[in-house]
Formats: sequence, C-alpha cells, structure tokens
Amino acid sequence: MFECLALLSLATLAQPLSASAAPLVQSETPASQTLWIRSDRIIVRPGEEISGAVLIQDGRIVAVGPGLPAPEGARTLEGAVVCAGYLDAWSTVGVEGATVADRKLNPASRVVDAVDTYSFDKEREDLLRAGVTTARVQGGAQGNIGGTGAVVRNDPNAGHGDIAILSEACVTATIGVTVGNQTPDVFDRIDSVDKLMRLIEGGRAYRDRLTDYDEKLAEWEKEIAEKVKELEKDFKKAKKKRDSDLAKAEEDGKTFKEKKYKEDKKPKAPRLDANKEAMAKVEAGELPLVVEVHRVPEIRELLAKSATFGRLRLILAGATESSSLASELAQRNIPVIVWPTPMGNTRPNEYRRHDLELAGKLHGAGVKVLFGSGGSGNAGDLSALAALAVGHGMDRTAALDALTLGPARSFDLGDRIGSVEPGKEADLLVLTGDPLDVATRASFVVLNGVVVVEP
Amino acid sequence: MILTLLGSMALAYSTPAVPLTVVSKPQAPAVESFAVRAKLVKLGDGTTLEEGVVWVEDGKIRAVGRGVELPAGTILIEHDGVLTAGMVAPHTYTGAAGELADSTRAFLPELHAKHAYNPSHSDFRRAVEAGVTTVLLAPRKENVAGGMTAAVKTFGDRVVSTDKHLHLSLHTTALWGWREPTSWPGAITELEKRLRQGEGAFGEAASGRLPVMIEAWSRQETARALDFATRNKLTGALRGGSRAGEMVDRVVASKLSMIVGPFAIGDDKRHIDSVLTLAEAGVPVAFGMSAPDEDPRGMRLSAARCVRAGLDATVAWHGLTSTSAKIAGVGDQVGRLERGFDADLVLWSGEPLEWTSRVEAVYVDGKLAFGGDR
Repeated sequence: MFECLALLSLATLAQPLSASAAPLVQSETPASQTLWIRSDRIIVRPGEEISGAVLIQDGRIVAVGPGLPAPEGARTLEGAVVCAGYLDAWSTVGVEGATVADRKLNPASRVVDAVDTYSFDKEREDLLRAGVTTARVQGGAQGNIGGTGAVVRNDPNAGHGDIAILSEACVTATIGVTVGNQTPDVFDRIDSVDKLMRLIEGGRAYRDRLTDYDEKLAEWEKEIAEKVKELEKDFKKAKKKRDSDLAKAEEDGKTFKEKKYKEDKKPKAPRLDANKEAMAKVEAGELPLVVEVHRVPEIRELLAKSATFGRLRLILAGATESSSLASELAQRNIPVIVWPTPMGNTRPNEYRRHDLELAGKLHGAGVKVLFGSGGSGNAGDLSALAALAVGHGMDRTAALDALTLGPARSFDLGDRIGSVEPGKEADLLVLTGDPLDVATRASFVVLNGVVVVEP
Repeated sequence: MILTLLGSMALAYSTPAVPLTVVSKPQAPAVESFAVRAKLVKLGDGTTLEEGVVWVEDGKIRAVGRGVELPAGTILIEHDGVLTAGMVAPHTYTGAAGELADSTRAFLPELHAKHAYNPSHSDFRRAVEAGVTTVLLAPRKENVAGGMTAAVKTFGDRVVSTDKHLHLSLHTTALWGWREPTSWPGAITELEKRLRQGEGAFGEAASGRLPVMIEAWSRQETARALDFATRNKLTGALRGGSRAGEMVDRVVASKLSMIVGPFAIGDDKRHIDSVLTLAEAGVPVAFGMSAPDEDPRGMRLSAARCVRAGLDATVAWHGLTSTSAKIAGVGDQVGRLERGFDADLVLWSGEPLEWTSRVEAVYVDGKLAFGGDR
C-alpha cells in the first residue's frame, strides 16, 4: 500500500523537485526543503513497521515506503529508527509560572496566551533532543479550573502567534490536589466534582438559551420580512402620509410619534458568556475535558455524575487510584493520562498510592493510556518514563502509542501528527536505536518538515 | 544490549553429568546450597557470561562460571534474563531516618550508625524490591562530625561492616544558630583542631587509615570540602557535589571518590553533565540513594539517565555495584559475583540499566528476599 502511495506521490513530485534546486529559495523558506530519510526501521505507526524511506516536502510527509528513491536535490538523512515525535499529553512547558500556579482561572482562559515563546528556548532545545516535539499545555494546576489548554509545537522558529498547533485543545480541571500543605478532605473533593458538573450543566443551559434565541431570531426575521413585503405594496402612500404627519406635528409644535409595529420587538440575545461558551463546547464533546483526579471516591463520583452528559469527552489525568475502576473507564472509552515517574515519601498526598504499574494495569483492562510529564516542568524524560512503565507491565507497542498517536487522537490531531504517514505534518525523529532503549539518542529531529536538531 | 537477541544463541553451558533439580522460578531452597543459571551473568568486574551459573552455599558464592560442576541434587534455578550482584547504596539514611543524628552535638564521632539499624523497617523492603541488597547507613548531615558509618543488609538483619568511615558534613544544615559552630570558618577550624589533636576517629582519619565521607552539595560547599580534604590529606569520598564536574581538577587533586545523585525528574541537566566529566577524568563515581524521601529505584534510574546522556554503561553499572561497594568499604564482600562474596543476587528481566527492565527476584545472603516462590 505504501509503495503505491509512494509512487503516486513521486509522480506528482517530479516537476516541483527539479524546480526547487535553486538554493536561494531553500534558505529563505526552510519549510520548503525536501527531505528523504532512509531507515531499516520506520515505525509508521505503533505496531506497523517497515524498512524504507520517508519523503518530506513543504512540511508534510508526502510518501513512505520501501524502495522509495531519493529525489534529486533532496537532503538525505539516515538512522537506525524513524518514528513520530512524542506528544507530551500533560505538560506546562513554556507556560508562564503565574498561570501554572493560578487558582482562579476560568474555563475560557486561554493558556496559549501564557506560553512565553521567548523564555524557554533552552528548555525547548532539550525537549527536542529528547524527542518531545509537541505538548498539550495547561495552566491552573492548583485551581479547580485550569482554563482552555492548547497543543504547542516546540518549534524554535515559532513566534508567539504560531506556537500553538491547536489553541483550543481542551478544558482542564483539577480535583483534590494538595495545595501548599492543604489536602482537601473527601467532602471537599466530592464538592469539587459537583461544582465541575454544575459548570458543565451551565454550559448546556447556555447553549440551550442560544439555540432558543436562534430559533426566535429566525422567526422574527421571517415576520419582519413578511411585514416589509406587506408594507412595500403601499409604500409611497404610507411615506407621503408620514411626511405630512411629520410636517403637521412640527407646525403644531408637537412631538411626532412613529407608528409602532408589533414586529419591532426583536428577540434579545443572551449575554455573551465566554466561560459558559467554553463549557458548552465541553458538554457537546467539541472539546475534551481533562480532569486531574487521583483518589477512588472522587473518581467514582466523577464517573457517576458525568454519565448524564452523553456527549462529554472525559480524559483523566494522574488517576493514581484508578486501576480498581479500570473496567468502567474502558467501557466508557475514557482515556487516562499516566505520569509513570518514580516517587518517594516526599510525594504529595494524592500520590500516596502511586504505582508504576498503573499504566500496564489500565492498558491490560482495555483503557486507553496516554503518557504525560505531569506538568512537572521537564518532559525531557518522557520516553524514559514510558520505558519505565514498560518495565512495570505496560505493553511496548501501547507505550509508544501513548507517546505519539494516542494523545494526537485524543486531542483531535490524529489526522495531523502522531505517525509517519503521508499527508501528516512532518514531526519526526531519527533515532540511534529503539525509542525505549536507554542509550538511544535523536540524531535528527524534524519539525514541520524542517531539521531542527542535528547530531 | 538487546537481550532478545540472546534467545537465539546456543546454550553455552555444558550439562552436568549428575542429575539436578531444575526449576524455572526462583525459590527459597530448603537446603543451603543452590545455583542460578541465567542467560546473561554480569560479574561486576566488567565481565559478562552467557548462560553462566552462580553456585551458592551457606549464603556465600561458592563458584561462578559457565562450566560449574554442581553436586547431584543441587537445585538449579533457570533464569530467562540477567543475573547480577545486588546493588550497593554507598550512602543512605534509609530505614533509620530519624535515628542517625543527635541534634544537640555538632561533633559526635562516637555515634555508630549501626545502632540505628532497624532491619524490619519498611524502607528496606522497598530497597530490596529495587535490587539494592547492601546500604551504607550514614550519620546525618545535620552534624559537622556525625559519627561512624555502617554497611548493612536490606534483608535478614546483618551488619556487614561497621566504622569504615568517619562521616563529616560541610552541608549548610550542619550549621545551626543555637549551637557551635555557627559559621564555616568555625566548623573548619574545629575540624582541623581535632584532626591535629589526633584523638580517636579523628586521629585515624588524619593518618589516612580511616576514610572520611564528607557531605557537601552546592558548588561552594563542594569546593570548600575538596580543599579541606586535600589540605588535610584525607581519604574517602564526597557525598553530593552536584556540580563537582565543573571543578574536576580539584576533585582529582583531593583523590576523593564521588557519590552522586539521585537525579530527580526535572533535575538540572548540569548535574548529569557533572557526572560525565568526573567519570571522564577517572574519578571513581558511585550513585547514591535518597530513599525514603525518593523512590529507591531512583538510584538505578539515575545511573540510567547518565548512560542516556553518554556515560559508559559499564562505568555506570559499577557505580551501582562494585565501585559503590568499594567506596562503602565492603568491596571485598559485596558488589560482585565472585567466589567467597556474599550471595546477594538480583534476577532482572533484562539489562539492568534499561528502564524497561525490572527486578524479578532478589537473594540476600543466599536467602530469597523478593519475588519467586517464597
């Protein structure tokens, strides 16, 4: 199949390739560079591997397959393994500290506006070297609501406006985490769940009012149109009468009163509420709701209460004690973002039952597992953490999926990134070995078709 | 390094002529003699054996090799993975956190860490599960001269060796406002006075016969500690020195070994670069354990992080076993698979420095301490 795709793409490419040989054009617009990457092991998507080459042009993967020839003028790279760049499903990278710590964010607070593209250059370089090409960022790690999260690309060439590849990726919430030394008790935690549910309900009501308004508005517009038609018939006569009435009123020194039509009463639009609008998107499943939640009582409550919202797309983060509820999570297709990091006695209370086997247990029960760096500030060890999860029972292919295609799909980017397939944006890694091996390094990182990391 | 490759290799081990009881799961043998055969045996001196056998008798290693002749009836445990010596944590407060200091006295060379050893503490169970079989209990860094260290087993209530180091601290927590000394010049003066007076442990340390273990973490503390050790011709190791690599010449001049890490997730990259520089300069480097505050697995994972950054894998592994044991003063008893050494064995699912590998079973002094059929 890939061979066919490759041949097709090549045929269409033959022309532009020879034309793009002019070096000036390439240096001015690096994205237009053609890349041909050869490898004996291309992880096309988790579980599907080939030996062959990847052809990249204009920032996109245009062909993948065995026997794919290198076009003239293309830059050639080679490596032991090629795979998609990692997406850190739970990160705060680049998000300005005050936003991360903010406890009063609203659903509509756009976290992407808090990403400081200029201050995390060094961090971004480390992340790229570690294979993390994209990250879902969020704020308000200690508040109930963390705002609207985004997916950003760790692109050193990106300015403030274009760091996000998805500026509205989700709405985030946090239930029951320790703030300072304060750990909320179980009643506070349950109350947080209820509050969150009321917000979703508020979103639904808001959307209902909008729908109601839209209907009334349409009705009114129809009535107006009919009246206009009716009036048009004797428009001249009516105008003449109005003019003479107006002149008479002026003569008598009286106030002129326009004739009232009952159709004048335009329905009133509901007041714009950006937060309710965001929650309406959550309720309708247009944006996933990522909830950091750890202990059994609140997870159980969240699952029970949220079941009434049929379209809601819930994603759990952390979920320390979720393994006992795995079958319900699996059955309701609720993905879980796991942070498989070693923790000692200094861990926060909610991580008291932290277990490196969580990812394996959840996956084994059929739950979709995604990996994230827990907003710990450094995602540079993400693939190592994935390997650690594998050491504790996680399936190897599923672990790679949890780093790449899994989170891409969960955050509606499945058709753009997450695998090495034609049509996708070219975010990929050329590695010295298996993605989960300790000594593996990225010799090249390609971001949006541009080589941003060299050996 | 990829262990799955080994599966295709032919059995190099010659089957003994006498019948053995071959089992596939680690067990607690009723007799005091058994053997383990593993796909790969890492001896800890840089050698690895494919299909090697370790024969254990009375808690000690009786023989190691590929053609070990086992007596009839010996239980032979087949392990489809890697077999190594138990790891050695060369400096830790684990299992005794509150008992390793006397906060009223800044100089307490008479304190013996062995008295704080509580083998039933749950920290030791976690350490065993992480593959750590020996730890060096160190007096806490809150005292300038904290006392004498003790190397103990994480299972089975055994002090391997005691009083092998005088523990000193030039860490900021050693200075208290209400207790003398209250400043660095004061602390150094007091220490050097005692070294010159040459009584007891200080005299032994001053003569170089008793190694010291100096705890110092920040750049400034590290520089101060190194100069102090060089000036007084002390031997031993420095615990901490998170950026010691940036003053590697001073480290080399001091002739001290280094106990580094563990590196937490999100830790400063310079700390890892520092380890690489130290190792390159030939400084003996071992990885420390900060349990129970941090996961005891962090010790091995820290070494793995250094390998990831470019540290030689053998150097890293020795930093968890043989080098570590040597620094802890028990290099002739633990940290390697060698005849006469303690039978501390770890059965790994794969290469121990891979994050994907895990501990499947652990023997301490020939007794099954974790995993298998107990």
